[in-house]
Amino acid sequence: MIWFLSTALIVTVGVVVETWLPGRPAYHAGWYNIALTALAIVVVVNGRKQWKARTRTSRLAIFAVAFGAAAAGLAGVTNGLFAPDNRDVVGAPGERVRVEELGTLSFPLAGEDRTAPVVVTLERALHAPLEIGARARTAGSFILRAVPRDVVDVEVRDLLGNALTVTQPNGGVFLSPVLLMQARQTIDGMNLPFDSFNVPAARRVVKAILFSPAEAAVVLHGPSAPGQAAVLFAVDDESERPLPHAIALSAAGAAVHAGDLWLRGEVTSYPMIEVISIPNTVVVTIGALLVLGGVLGLGVRRRSS
Amino acid sequence: MHRYIVWPAVALALALAIYVAEPYVVTQRAAAGGPGGLAGQPAPIFDLRDDRGRSVSLRAYRGSLVVMNLWASWCPPCRAEMPDLQRLSQAEAGRGIKVVGVNEGESPQRARAFADSLGIRFPIWVDGGQQYGRTYNALGLPTTVILDREGVVIRAFDGPLTLDEMRAAVAAVRVR
Repeated sequence: MIWFLSTALIVTVGVVVETWLPGRPAYHAGWYNIALTALAIVVVVNGRKQWKARTRTSRLAIFAVAFGAAAAGLAGVTNGLFAPDNRDVVGAPGERVRVEELGTLSFPLAGEDRTAPVVVTLERALHAPLEIGARARTAGSFILRAVPRDVVDVEVRDLLGNALTVTQPNGGVFLSPVLLMQARQTIDGMNLPFDSFNVPAARRVVKAILFSPAEAAVVLHGPSAPGQAAVLFAVDDESERPLPHAIALSAAGAAVHAGDLWLRGEVTSYPMIEVISIPNTVVVTIGALLVLGGVLGLGVRRRSS
Repeated sequence: MHRYIVWPAVALALALAIYVAEPYVVTQRAAAGGPGGLAGQPAPIFDLRDDRGRSVSLRAYRGSLVVMNLWASWCPPCRAEMPDLQRLSQAEAGRGIKVVGVNEGESPQRARAFADSLGIRFPIWVDGGQQYGRTYNALGLPTTVILDREGVVIRAFDGPLTLDEMRAAVAAVRVR
């Protein structure tokens, strides 16, 4: 009996830990899932052996323990074998990003109040929309967490001060003036995020490189304000040939002149969504309760006899 | 007793396995990409200004079918399409259909000069933050979106339309 209960508890506690501390690579490792499967099989086989020569109440308790542990084990192994690795979903304001197995994440436009939290919404068939804001949310077998990251909001004007359309032919949203800075480039030993955009009216292609406040303070000289992020703009013609006098640094959101354009880059925070798979919480909860109830039932039964 | 519990337990275990594995094998239906992805949803409403600086909003167009055309002055197909939009606007004005041109990302002066050069009479709005272009997930310009009387997106088109295509799209929405 002790082996039966011990293995059941090991399986259940293991999967509960997997749910409470999600996203560890070990959960997807072969040895972990083989061990979990073997232990669940041991529980069921031992449960069958314990079944014989028992009272009806004890049998019910044994069934609860075996079934609960097997259910929790199944949820854990399914998560380990089938669930994808952790993912970071990056979306531009206004973009709707489809996430396999999950649904569509809708990234809102930032409001006028830049300090207000941005709430990303998960849309799924047969479910109410799920808002992912400051705290993590659970959606079926996934935990969704909003993680802030730096993006650059650009504004472009011609030399007369007329606003110009910004396009991102290679970005998620064609007409977005918000650069997600997902690519990286090494400059002077620093690995820096960069992005590019087009200004079709001026026939210009602009590359923007983001310097964090610390990087800006260490490496850049001149207009960089202390403690402020900075954006380096490099303007090319539409064939991506460099132009003379076409590199300028915009610090603290200041407008700079480069390649016959006025460019302004404001560094703001916008969330990406971290998607972490977990064992199905409903199954794990029911399984753990069954195991707990069964163990308590067997304990009471033993004490009374 | 034993056999009475084994088969239900096996059935329960199978159901459980299907329930647990379902999220990983059944993929969610993909929303259509591009501007058509918003079909069936209420159009976003942004408070904008027109090319003369007046406050404008889609709220004022409730009760009318709206043909919303996103454009920019640097876009040759937008220029080519504009006269047909003007003809549509004139022809359908008495039938509760409103045409609105939404300039994406340019200054009011540039938008007004462009509209004046083509003799455009329908309202020209200026979307400096390119908000409609972003939320409609425009793949390029021009993009045309048709809204019903309740402000719900019915259809959306990527690229320029001919006058006949505009009339057909509006007629299809009108009979709904």
